[in-house]
Amino acid sequence: MSEGRQPAPRRARPVSPHAGMQKIQRRQRIVFWCLMLCIFAMGLLLAIERHRERQRIEALAEQMPIDAPTAVAKTVTLDLANDQDGSIHPEVRQIALPQAVNARARALIDHLLAAYALPGAAHPLPPGPAVAEVFLLPLPVTGYVADPSWPASSSAEYRTATPVASNDPVALQPQRHGGELAVIDLRNSWVNQHPSGVEVESLTLKSILGTLHRNLPQIEQVRFLVDGQARETLAGHADLLRTYIVRDTTTQTDGDAPEPVHP
Amino acid sequence: MQRRVIVLDPAHGGSDPGAQISDTTSEKDVTLALAFRLRAMLAARGFTVVMTRDSDAPASPAPGGGSLTLDDRAGVANHAHAAACLVLHASSSGDGVHLYRSELDATPAEPIVPPWLTAQAAWIPQSRLLQREIAGALMRSGIPLVTGSVSVRPMDSLTCPALIVELAPADEDVDSMNRTGYQQQVARAIAGALLVWEGQVQAPPQLWVAAAPRTSPAGHSRRTAPHP
Repeated sequence: MSEGRQPAPRRARPVSPHAGMQKIQRRQRIVFWCLMLCIFAMGLLLAIERHRERQRIEALAEQMPIDAPTAVAKTVTLDLANDQDGSIHPEVRQIALPQAVNARARALIDHLLAAYALPGAAHPLPPGPAVAEVFLLPLPVTGYVADPSWPASSSAEYRTATPVASNDPVALQPQRHGGELAVIDLRNSWVNQHPSGVEVESLTLKSILGTLHRNLPQIEQVRFLVDGQARETLAGHADLLRTYIVRDTTTQTDGDAPEPVHP
Repeated sequence: MQRRVIVLDPAHGGSDPGAQISDTTSEKDVTLALAFRLRAMLAARGFTVVMTRDSDAPASPAPGGGSLTLDDRAGVANHAHAAACLVLHASSSGDGVHLYRSELDATPAEPIVPPWLTAQAAWIPQSRLLQREIAGALMRSGIPLVTGSVSVRPMDSLTCPALIVELAPADEDVDSMNRTGYQQQVARAIAGALLVWEGQVQAPPQLWVAAAPRTSPAGHSRRTAPHP
């Protein structure tokens, strides 16, 4: 028997000890970096969305009345302006209002200005929180002086203060007992975005004054602040330094309209 | 009063551009262009025109110079004793011309020394008549018109029949405000109305006693600053 020729054993090719590992490592590296990229992108997306949501909630919180609204929505009338013909017309709405008068005034102004931020508004204004706070002061505005008969060293609780009326001869007087001055503190961020122009600025102020007049008759006068500071104009035109009288701004009864002209 | 003198106040100027009408146009440029056209129309009708500025950045007439303040403008206008003072503005909102007088309530007479912040009060009846005259002329010219009263400085400090003339676009195109034809049409209507006005204007009666404290709901009270 002849022994069959046995095939020569395969000679193992000299293989680099790191060759296989390098091939696997490259794939792994690619997968690894792809995963890392995905993780990073998802993290970034989550952070952005979280920031957006926080801003949205903060904006909502700013627009909410300070006090909890009453359970029943109330009928209010908003004086809405129209840039095209320079008119202001009343519109009845149902909104929930807080109990406190200053919070109610703020809520009314917030609702009014929110209507102007809607697309297609006849008097377009920037969106976002506009009113920081509304303060109410009884009229006439008085100051207080400490009683000079008490020594300065006396503790505050024993010192008396006397109300002193303004000696300004042109100071506005209240129309009736219980009248109040509303100080509306506007936000600088909103004021800086307000459109500039005599008509558009005046309509904003008249719209606010008319709305307060219709819904809160105890408010007789209004002054405006911007971030707690006096400011000359709303956006370069309408005077913000004067005291405004709250009155009906929808109808022009003082003969403003020109006599009919027939071309 | 100088019946043939008209004051034109092109609002803003210098570092105060006013409203941004479009990407390339500021309010101060439109008001100055309209003032030049109106001045030419009025000069052609024999009026003397006093302008508070005839360049971009006028200097204050007060000692020390500086930029022209709103009070400076009122001072220039009041020294002219003009038959009409027109404060020119421009806006991209609305259309046509917006014609406003001061929001102050009228007083029957002018005190010897009128309060600076309410000096216009005695001139309100004349301002109202001037408003009707110019409004009628603009309507006859077919220009869309809005009239009313506003509180814009320095109107309340002017001692002359005073109006704000705010030029708005002629149509949907905001840049229509810069069209020569449109500005000419507005200027022609106003100049024609002022020619009629020259024969109607009257100074308010002088009040020879001290002005009584105001109890009307129309006054300013800048000094009654609240302390919230």
